[in-house]
Amino acid sequence: MEAKPRMLAVLDSVTLALLLIASYMVFFYAPMEAVMGNVQRVFYFHVAAGWVGMLGFLVAAVAGGIYLRSGNRRWDLMSLASVEIGMVFAFINVVTGSIWARPIWNTWWTWDPRLTTATIMLLIYAAYLLLRQGIEDPDRRARFGAVYAIVGFLSVPLTFFSARLFRTIHPVVIGTNPPGASGAFDMTPLMLQTFLFSLLTFTFIFIDLLWHRIRVGRLADKVEQMKLKLMS
Amino acid sequence: MLLSVLLQEGPAQTTNYMLLGYAVIFGVMLLYVLSLYLRQRNLERDLELMQDLQERQ
Repeated sequence: MEAKPRMLAVLDSVTLALLLIASYMVFFYAPMEAVMGNVQRVFYFHVAAGWVGMLGFLVAAVAGGIYLRSGNRRWDLMSLASVEIGMVFAFINVVTGSIWARPIWNTWWTWDPRLTTATIMLLIYAAYLLLRQGIEDPDRRARFGAVYAIVGFLSVPLTFFSARLFRTIHPVVIGTNPPGASGAFDMTPLMLQTFLFSLLTFTFIFIDLLWHRIRVGRLADKVEQMKLKLMS
Repeated sequence: MLLSVLLQEGPAQTTNYMLLGYAVIFGVMLLYVLSLYLRQRNLERDLELMQDLQERQ
């Protein structure tokens, strides 16, 4: 059994501590928003999850590009791991957005440009994971994965800028809210601190999970190679 | 919208939605961590099994 690196154990502890502090800040440090009430607190981890989703897809595209240049399987593992983690957090982002929308927009779902592009992005990466499973040859699978991760990344800036480019009711954090935005609020300094701390915490969660997922990927590779060796 | 805000006495009662949101956030993260742990454990078992088979051969 491969022992867990000491640095990874430290990272696990730091990440857990950050998550506990961020949770404390969300529930007890940040003030309640005057109009929306407690549901506004979903915002902190909702945006942070969206950030990790997009970060994951960015890392996947970059790692895919490096794989295509170098042919080193390590980068394919990183690309796959990033997509998987990105998917988990993009899913959290979409679902928590829907939960927030119910009392604020009076509906669980609406085909608003931001919600639509976020869903398309999620489906694009779900297809990536499904299609990869259908390719037997590891080299072909890795090449396909790399190209798909790069092309699929086009959906990320489209999702990010959709609330600025199109007519939407989704509020934005950075920049001016669109005229029809519903559920926007002014962040107090305590809210801003909680928001930034949540972003930092989720970045640590991403790095920590990425490291763990790459270890699982390496182990899966090892098992696959041994299987082939035994069968030959 | 503006009228409802002006008539409102205090913040909206939305605590249940907040709790639901955080249940989803922590629930999904926990499930993913659990899936990583289970995959790692199963792969380690497979590897041990294959090393045994290789030694027998």
